[in-house]
Amino acid sequence: MVNILEVRGLRARITGGREVLKGIDLTVAPGEVHAIMGPNGAGKSTLSSVLAGKPGYEVTAGSVLYKDVDLLSMPPDERAREGVFLAFQYPVEIPGVNNTYFLRAALNAGRRQRGQPELDAQQFLKAVKEKLKLLDIGDDLLRRAVNVGFSGGEKKRNEIFQMAMLEPNLALLDETDSGLDIDALRTVSDGVNRLRDPGRAIVMVTHYQRLLDYVVPDHVHVLADGRIVASGDKYFAAELERTGYAHLCDAA
Amino acid sequence: MLITDDSAPFQEAYRQLLAGTDQPDWLRSQRQAGMERFTDLGFPTRRQEAWRFTDLEQLTAQPRLPSLDGAPPLPADLLEPWRLAGKTHRLVLVNGRFDPALSAIGTLPDGVWLAPLAETVLRRPDVAAMAFGADGNAFAFLNAALFTDGAVLVLAPGTVLELPVEVIHYSAGDTQVSAHPRLRVMLGDGARATLVETAAGDGNGWTNAVIDVTLGADAALTHVHVQGEGADAAHTSLLTAELGRRARYRTFAFITGASLSRRDMQVTLSGPGAVFTLHGAYLLDGGQEATLAVRADHKVCDCRTEEVVKGVLQGAAHGVFLGTVAVRPGADGTDARQLNRNLLLSPSARVDTKPELEIFADDVKCSHGATVGSLDEAALFYLQARGIDPVTARSMLVAAFAAEVIDAAGLEGEVEVLLRRHLARWLGGEGGLG
Ligand SMILES: Nc1ncnc2c1ncn2[C@@H]1O[C@H](COP(=O)(O)OP(=O)(O)OP(=O)(O)O)[C@@H](O)[C@H]1O
Ligand SMILES: [Mg+2]
Repeated sequence: MVNILEVRGLRARITGGREVLKGIDLTVAPGEVHAIMGPNGAGKSTLSSVLAGKPGYEVTAGSVLYKDVDLLSMPPDERAREGVFLAFQYPVEIPGVNNTYFLRAALNAGRRQRGQPELDAQQFLKAVKEKLKLLDIGDDLLRRAVNVGFSGGEKKRNEIFQMAMLEPNLALLDETDSGLDIDALRTVSDGVNRLRDPGRAIVMVTHYQRLLDYVVPDHVHVLADGRIVASGDKYFAAELERTGYAHLCDAA
Repeated sequence: MLITDDSAPFQEAYRQLLAGTDQPDWLRSQRQAGMERFTDLGFPTRRQEAWRFTDLEQLTAQPRLPSLDGAPPLPADLLEPWRLAGKTHRLVLVNGRFDPALSAIGTLPDGVWLAPLAETVLRRPDVAAMAFGADGNAFAFLNAALFTDGAVLVLAPGTVLELPVEVIHYSAGDTQVSAHPRLRVMLGDGARATLVETAAGDGNGWTNAVIDVTLGADAALTHVHVQGEGADAAHTSLLTAELGRRARYRTFAFITGASLSRRDMQVTLSGPGAVFTLHGAYLLDGGQEATLAVRADHKVCDCRTEEVVKGVLQGAAHGVFLGTVAVRPGADGTDARQLNRNLLLSPSARVDTKPELEIFADDVKCSHGATVGSLDEAALFYLQARGIDPVTARSMLVAAFAAEVIDAAGLEGEVEVLLRRHLARWLGGEGGLG
């Protein structure tokens, strides 16, 4: 079976600025969950941004294959429709655009791409209700503009709710656990676990062991100064908690 | 009499109109007075502060003369996009003349006069005479000299007109004609009405309208103005409104048409407690230019003005918002807010925005603001990161920006539906982002 993600020697810089990713190698097989940890400013969000196609970055070397297709040559909306999902570290507020309307447009864009019929308003609402319940989200959030006035935790939950609706093949979760209270962390983790499936893969950026207790990763990597400097299994995260990153960064 | 270059091209048409037989003498004097004032003034120029940003070149370089013969009959479905759904009192003018076939004034309740101006001149000269004020700008004076018809809406005190009134001016044909419709609205004390004043067309004519509104004490008028003239058309209009004690004048200006357009609004709050609200949007593309020039004159105490106007500019379009709130001595307790927000969608689109205050009273609460920005890149990426293509994403953000002002206006029923429909059409149409 082909890998979901194959990142080879990826180097990227901020357009017109400095290099942030300095040669990343990462292979993610179907069914796997990878955790990426590492110091602030190491390039973790930059990696997920580049994978999602955010403007403002320039890839200078390397390649990214998504299910054997060149990901970097696709525009961001096409990547999304092909099943790449980025849960933003800082979800964007969009005044005037209704959350439900937005999500239905997103969902149907993906369905069109896959040749599936679009969901009508009723079918869509039925799907929404199910997922809302699972994630313990009030439906008033759906009546509001996208992320506008949402609390930090509500924004994160909304990201996972969108993920649950869009059912991506590759989910990139950038610090989705940050800012969640203990109960919310549980529900969000449940949401992520529910997406686990032999055909899908999840890459999550986190600073905390706690998430990894709920969503147990197959692999844990440390990204420091634009490179993956160490990798291990699920026990590696606990070890890092004790040792910190300093010795790994020096080694790099 | 010295004849300036500006009035010369109009003299022949003017003389023919003046010689028209079925008009009373007082109307002839109005035409004469109008022509004299226009001759004195000529077209405004950029040297006048209030006209500094407006490019009248295309209008003055090649004068468009009034069409003295009627327009050919129009198919009724031509008006379909412009009409309100549901029951209305509809009065249609084509190239400045009443069109009985397209109109449907219907049965009017007691205390309501709604008729074409020409008919009003014949049947109710006392009412028609009130359609001519002494004030105006050069365009309004030219209108007085050259008008052929218009509409008059009068409500007796205490009358409530349940159905909306639609006055549609349609400019047809590509023969470079001009039309000078006059619209007079008078609401007696406590009267209430809703008016949709639409200027639409498919030709390259010039519509030069005058709208004159008087609201008695506690009267309330909702007045939606839709300007969707043809892409090569020109539109000028002067609206004056006088608000009595506690009168409420709520107006919406939705401007998407014509290559050159300018609407002047001069609103005088002359009774304590009067309220003037303006919501507006100009959505422009290509080489379009639109100016909205609003003056709210607070003459007495405790009046309120609220203006929210938004602009969306694509291509090489040019939007101009000039807003002045004047607070006269003694107009204490004035509460005035002006906000003009613009979205520039292309590097060659332009905006000039000048909200201003002239305050000569104490104890007033006035604020004004203007913004000019482009689409939020972070929001655009967020939408695309969920699979929405960039064209749709842009359109969603523009729609949200423009729809906000329709939401804020808080209009009801079919009138609101109409504006949302016009907005959707602009977004999806050739003028839009589709
Ligand atoms: N658009 C940008 N403009 C300027 N600098 C940027 C930009 N994006 C990222 N950087 C810089 O690149 C470096 C990596 O940032 P990134 O957000 O990827 O770090 P991170 O590993 O996600 O950190 P954190 O754990 O704090 O979220 C930082 O020094 C950051 O300031
Ligand atoms: Mg980060």
